[in-house]
Amino acid sequence: MTKKKKNAPANVLRQSAEERFADELSALIEHESHPVPDGWRMSPRSVRTYITGGEAGGMTITPKYIGHPRLVEIAIATLITDRALLLIGEPGTAKSWLSEHLTAAINGDSTKVVQGTAGTTEEQIRYTWNYAMLIARGPSEEALVKSPVFRAMETGSIARFEEITRCAAEVQDAMISLLSEKRVSVPELGVEVPAERGFSVIATANTRDRGVNDMSSALKRRFNIVVLPAPADLETEVSIVNKRVRDLASTLKLPATPPGVAEIEKVVTVFRELRRGQTLDGKAKVKTPSGVLSTAEAISLLASSMALAGNFGSGEVEDEDIAAALLGAVVKEEGKDRIVWHDYLDNVMKKRGAAWRPLYKACKERLG
Amino acid sequence: MSTGANAAASELRPYPAVFGVRHLSPGVAWHLRAFLNARQPRVVLIEGPADMTPLIGDLVHSKCQPPVAALAYTAEPPVDTLLYPFATYSPEYQALLWASENGAEARFIDLPSSTFLALQGARRRRILAERERRDERVHEDSGEDDDDDGGEDDVVVEAHNEQAPNPFLDEAWTHRSVYRSLAEGAGEHDYESYWEGRFERLGVAERFHEALNELGTTLRELVPDAGLRNAENLVREAYMRREIEASLEAGVAPHEIVVVAGAFHVPAQAPTFAPMSDAEFEALPTAPAKLTLMPYSYARLSSQSGYGAGNHAPAYFEAKWQSFRSGTQSEFPALYLSRVARLQRKAGTFRSTAEVIEGSRLAQSLASLHGRDAPVLGELHDAAQTLLGQGSPRPIAEALAQVDIGTSIGALPPGASQTSIQDDFKRELRRLRLEKYCDGKRHEIDLDLRENRRVKSEEAAFLDLHRSTFFQRLAVLKIPFATAHRVDQDSATWAEHWSLEWTPESEIALVEAVLLGETVEVATSFALREQLSAASTATQAARVARVAGTCVLPATLEQARLRIANLAAGSTAFDDLAHACQEVAISVRYGDVRQLDMTPFRPLIEQLFRESTLHLFGSAGCDAATAATYLVAMEELDRVSGEYEELVDHALWVRELRALSASDTRNPLLSGFACALLLQRGDIDEDSLARELSRRLSSGIDAELGAGWFEGVSKRNRYALLSRLSLWRQLEAYIGSLDDEEFKRALVFLRRAFEGFSSVERRQIAENLGELWGLNEDAAADMLEAPLDEEEEAALDELGDFDFGDL
Repeated sequence: MTKKKKNAPANVLRQSAEERFADELSALIEHESHPVPDGWRMSPRSVRTYITGGEAGGMTITPKYIGHPRLVEIAIATLITDRALLLIGEPGTAKSWLSEHLTAAINGDSTKVVQGTAGTTEEQIRYTWNYAMLIARGPSEEALVKSPVFRAMETGSIARFEEITRCAAEVQDAMISLLSEKRVSVPELGVEVPAERGFSVIATANTRDRGVNDMSSALKRRFNIVVLPAPADLETEVSIVNKRVRDLASTLKLPATPPGVAEIEKVVTVFRELRRGQTLDGKAKVKTPSGVLSTAEAISLLASSMALAGNFGSGEVEDEDIAAALLGAVVKEEGKDRIVWHDYLDNVMKKRGAAWRPLYKACKERLG
Repeated sequence: MSTGANAAASELRPYPAVFGVRHLSPGVAWHLRAFLNARQPRVVLIEGPADMTPLIGDLVHSKCQPPVAALAYTAEPPVDTLLYPFATYSPEYQALLWASENGAEARFIDLPSSTFLALQGARRRRILAERERRDERVHEDSGEDDDDDGGEDDVVVEAHNEQAPNPFLDEAWTHRSVYRSLAEGAGEHDYESYWEGRFERLGVAERFHEALNELGTTLRELVPDAGLRNAENLVREAYMRREIEASLEAGVAPHEIVVVAGAFHVPAQAPTFAPMSDAEFEALPTAPAKLTLMPYSYARLSSQSGYGAGNHAPAYFEAKWQSFRSGTQSEFPALYLSRVARLQRKAGTFRSTAEVIEGSRLAQSLASLHGRDAPVLGELHDAAQTLLGQGSPRPIAEALAQVDIGTSIGALPPGASQTSIQDDFKRELRRLRLEKYCDGKRHEIDLDLRENRRVKSEEAAFLDLHRSTFFQRLAVLKIPFATAHRVDQDSATWAEHWSLEWTPESEIALVEAVLLGETVEVATSFALREQLSAASTATQAARVARVAGTCVLPATLEQARLRIANLAAGSTAFDDLAHACQEVAISVRYGDVRQLDMTPFRPLIEQLFRESTLHLFGSAGCDAATAATYLVAMEELDRVSGEYEELVDHALWVRELRALSASDTRNPLLSGFACALLLQRGDIDEDSLARELSRRLSSGIDAELGAGWFEGVSKRNRYALLSRLSLWRQLEAYIGSLDDEEFKRALVFLRRAFEGFSSVERRQIAENLGELWGLNEDAAADMLEAPLDEEEEAALDELGDFDFGDL
């Protein structure tokens, strides 16, 4: 945590948002024309431009989040008022994506992250000790290991808390005092560290996880809650998937050409229909598989079929590659999902006409 | 539209100041008042039909409480209407108030409503003609290219867009793309936010005046310069100039006049353009029109589109207007959100004050993202959803509707202009001694439609009957003053129970009913005649006839009779004819109680009965879904045949039922049901039933035919079935004879057949079976009534997926 690597970012498996879009960020900062809040690197309007796209000093800013400009504005406005922001949504609604880009734009640092799990402890969101040093020298500033939230408070920046509902209730409760007091006390050192202006938290929570650990209403009241909706229609989802697949292809340096819009539309159609349990036109019911078929899943599916095509195939994503990836995505639980997929192929996809025929054949072959 | 006004030209001679407005805008209203205060004009000229000027007295009356509306309508059908709603925050309304408070003269200066209505009628006729011509052309040569000129096309396109043409609905305000581009250019999500952010706020009146006029000029340049609507605008503007000239000629100095007109029309109000001449005015079409004032409601205002800024959220904009008046506009966002929170609390969802505070901070910073100093409605909604709805719109939807739209209903000063139907309504109330029920409270009233023999006059003897008739007519006109409570029809044909409550909504509906006729009676029969000519089936016409009967409208009833006979003659649908027959039978049955002579309808029953009976057999070869509706129709016919035995051809009915019952080619359910009806009447003897049963349930016949038939039989007279042990023996033998596959099929039908049996009836079946199988009847009953175990459940579920397509 204290280590800071300064390596050439090109070889990193996954670059952080601020590294990948460094050009855009610096262009925005350079051409800033509006007042910049304390602790921020650019004005709220520039943050909005960074997220929803536009241009700065002749440079085109690519849109990072498609579809709901009002929600992006609510998120940004929340952070101006130094309230904590909670992004809620189904899997694949780009919660983490949005939170990463918000912090990248506001602080130029999207890496102060607490990943919420069932095993997350209170220490991980406050502070813990370097025990060797603690035993050797007693409590001291050097022996203190600060959590990302602690560091965000000190520097007046934004910490991210991923999947907050996965944490146990007492860990969530620890957040309450941090958010309302806006200070961490370290009784061992007899100090209290107040939060600098600009400190805030962006948490994300998954609607499907609700019930695992529900958020207390006391905690909810400390957040401004923004619900990110699942893409409303086929076109929106296709354009999201298309954009993200192309991004992935260039960052992962996949040795294949990205699939065409027609292919993406087919995959998204299959996903939407299996997700909603009925065909797009609403005329036929289909069974739903056990797994989650999110937009993110569709993206990774297409990326993996690109990897397959590039490494073992022709370099073009073909129906066989998509069929293999679809099978893997839909059939998560052997018995039941296999029947679901079989029924879907025969009752829906088979009747779709010539455009779907090759994909249908490939899927059938794979299913055996 | 080439105004071509250059700045120099306007200096030719002094001309009155023109204040551009947007209708229903509190910001404009506030600045207009400030502007009037500064200028102190002697004459205020306002855009609005010139013949509405006499209504100003009532509008500014201290007891007049907006929202109110002026309604103009043509005196003769087809009725065209125009509606001019006013809210407290309408700039026009505030201008009227200002004039009356400051002793200035106020006048409306737009085309008279008689001309508007005539233009509207002409437009309607043109659209109709165009449509007809198009239809013809499509028929004649569908292949030929549409080589019509573009201008005409525009007319039709416009016609589709504008449901209710209205002079307030400046066409500029509906040119969506122009507005969107204007808003997007300013970085706003929509035009409403653009408008509210710039104009629904306080500033310096003169500057505001200039900015708004500038917006009007911009819009006029952006809006394409074509179409007949534009021509109409030019005519209106010329007329307005004519009215302005009239004031100037009367000796009022230009600086003593302020003109209030839509911002769009401002560039055209300049001395460079000629006013309308007398000859031109004479040439304008007119239609005889009437004008009246009516109370209006915010709910109605918000459902109209295109009137202007404040109509989509009237209560919100009124609150904004109040905050301007009291100088508390900076507290307005917090006030708005705390209202939402208070309503939520009332509904049981607790929201803290802290959340309201955070909400207004969020709204404020959302506004600052757009460079504004105060949030607009959309941002307050976003803030409310984020904080008070915890991210979801659902918890706040109801509260928002309350706070945005509200339930305000206007009131007019007593004695304000009345329509003829309102006078008639009052007369009827007096005649029927109902005035005491109009106190705004809810009253329950029981009516006895029979003659009251203890009173002397005939009027008094049938008071309740007349009241009922009156209420029924109001129901047809959708006037919510009286609501009927459903009374079990079998209990008494002469008893009715009504709730009476006088609401402003009733007043509004009443005024609107004047479009149908001058009195309640005339309007009702007009409404029913419209329904009659719209009816496409005998059943629909028969339903109208029934209503005409309860409304005691003999002439309409006679028309309905002809219409039913007409439609029935052309109809071959069994269920339509049967339903119509049943409806007419009901009308005749209740006719007596309403002192109506229903004899002309009796032959109609006979005709409908005969025709539907003759169609029964032919129609009965149908699928299962249709059979279910036919079953109901058969039941109705059977009831009619029982009730009007002396009138209808009973023998024919029995003959057709027998034919259907014996047929193997008709839908088995209907055949079975025909058999059940015969059994119920005693028109089939025990032997024939047993023979029919064994024939139907013999193993050679398809399972669904046999079992479906049994389902039909068991719909009626279960007692007769249950008491015949021989029948159960046959059924048992039949089921025993089926192989597995056949059994599965039969099970689906049999299960459905027995589903409707009550537990007592099931118990009796158990007794029968117990006897057959030599079992203790309790044991048999236990077996029958025990819930299904999992295995059986699963087996039945599989049957649900049973594929009948293979048959």
